[in-house]
Amino acid sequence: MNVLPFLIIVPLFGAFSMPLIKLISEKFRDIWAVIISAITLCVAADVFYTIWKTNQIIVYTLGDTTPLGKGVGFPIRIVWEVDLLGALIAVTIAFVSLLAIIYSLEYMKYDTGLDKYYTLILILELGMLGIVITGDIFNFYVFLEIMSIASYALVAFRNDTWEGIEAGIKYMFVGSLASSFILLGIALLYGQYGTLTMAYLSHYITREPTFVSKVALAFILGGLLFKSGAVPVHMWLADAHPAAPSSISAMLSGLVIKAGGVYAIARILFSIYGISLNIRTLGWIVIFFACLTLIVGNAMAVVQTDMKRLFAFSSVGQIGYILLGIGIGLAAYGTKVGQIALAGAIYHTVNHALMKALLFLVAGAVLHEVGTKNLNELSGLARKMPLTSFAFLVGAAAIIGLPPLNGFASKWLIYESSALYNPFLAAVAVLGTAFCTAAYIRVLFTFFGKESEKVKEARDPGKAMVIPMIILILAIIIMGLLPWQINDSIMLPTAKMLEESGKYVLAVLGG
Amino acid sequence: MFGYWDALYFIYVFIIGLIISYILMKWGEKASMGTRRVGAGTKVYLSGEDEDEVIPQFEHLRGYFTGRHVMWGLIRGINRMFIAFRREHTGLLTDYVAYLLMTVAIILGVLIIWG
Repeated sequence: MNVLPFLIIVPLFGAFSMPLIKLISEKFRDIWAVIISAITLCVAADVFYTIWKTNQIIVYTLGDTTPLGKGVGFPIRIVWEVDLLGALIAVTIAFVSLLAIIYSLEYMKYDTGLDKYYTLILILELGMLGIVITGDIFNFYVFLEIMSIASYALVAFRNDTWEGIEAGIKYMFVGSLASSFILLGIALLYGQYGTLTMAYLSHYITREPTFVSKVALAFILGGLLFKSGAVPVHMWLADAHPAAPSSISAMLSGLVIKAGGVYAIARILFSIYGISLNIRTLGWIVIFFACLTLIVGNAMAVVQTDMKRLFAFSSVGQIGYILLGIGIGLAAYGTKVGQIALAGAIYHTVNHALMKALLFLVAGAVLHEVGTKNLNELSGLARKMPLTSFAFLVGAAAIIGLPPLNGFASKWLIYESSALYNPFLAAVAVLGTAFCTAAYIRVLFTFFGKESEKVKEARDPGKAMVIPMIILILAIIIMGLLPWQINDSIMLPTAKMLEESGKYVLAVLGG
Repeated sequence: MFGYWDALYFIYVFIIGLIISYILMKWGEKASMGTRRVGAGTKVYLSGEDEDEVIPQFEHLRGYFTGRHVMWGLIRGINRMFIAFRREHTGLLTDYVAYLLMTVAIILGVLIIWG
């Protein structure tokens, strides 16, 4: 049985049954959210395992066995097409979402309207899952909007503070603008080629790459760079991510900018445009924005005094590394260097989701216990909240890229490939890491410094908040201890499958 | 691909870096080269922004000259970059539109010429 549709059906059912479940009891509503996200994780893991084992792309047509219309030679049905990259990101999304929901049980205990909260969080999850499994570009846009609208609402969820409302409205305005650019690009592609199925689009663009297809790509890429928080269109991120409840910040920084940003960029550039345009040019466009993002994001993190804002800027910086990997993967397409860079980018996407989720959960624990996220007031937290401080230590060390943690493995692949491709790029990447180190060491000094008045009453949070942090710590350490195994058995095959755009096209055209 | 020894080498270099920075910090404090202790914590001043424009033991670089000296100029340059970053604006919708349009224009320009 093909379980792929359940990746959408389960969270959708969970989200819309939430108001009814709430009528039974509030406790059952919380447990229901955990059960739904746990089932979603099982489905995602099954999809990933099937693709990984068989090395075959899964294609699923909604309502039929083929996307082609009856009696016509062009596709009219929505296609879901999942390769290893999509499945890997889906597992990451389901895993981090489950932890964020478990964390929310305690973190959001004193908030009201939690049925709306859990409905939105499940809709956010299904939006992201939809993005990574779809093979239809308009369907991709629909899921992107589902994800975006849920995140606008979640950023402004705590509407008793102006910070949340202002950030939510700003995020909504500018996010919609970027979405409209993406939609314009999709409309141009549809007008030119008469299809929305990605595989067919790739086929037609390769046969006849027109000027319109380039204009469409510019609009889509501009919008997606915005969604991924790349410089110079990153400013919204520093407002939106810190203003949300920390469990949501973990999902926004860990997942949303990946699924709706870098994943989509990789999918469109490799699977749709790949060989039809000058691939070196495509690569260097991405590398240019990656270098800007690397430097500015990490340097901006250094000067922040708000802990969550620092983490948000750090996310911008880390997106730079992922984009650098994708850029080199394109520019050095077909070579070993390109493949390593792409594997590094994919590895870092997964790693960053774990590391940043952990760091935002730590920030949430601090905010929950101390009531402030201002670094100037958090001195000496380590003695009062040892477990939380240890979690921060692991997260920070991993994101800086200290061995033997997972961040080292993925960053090393990116450094190595960039040094082999163009040493200047490696220098830029290392400079970004220097800024990143400075930013996190500042927080570390604050945590381990002299005890301040504010933290006197602080203590580690309860089990529901600690368990997700411990699971993330374990995941970070385990992924750091087995870098070769993970890279050789998962990341490299994923990169290879993404590179083989012909296989992606044939999976639909041939079926 | 990376190996086990690369990882150890990384830690080794990092620890040496930490030790050197600590020694430098202690030396800087002792020699009080542009370093002041303020209040409960320690605040490090870059001498370029010192109000009386004098660095102890660097009196020969007094006044406006301080900022022009190559070393201090460089440090001041980096400091100014961070000051500029600190003045970040996350403001107007028109700015966002402008940046987004610029991004699209850059991509389109490159694609038309070299794509």
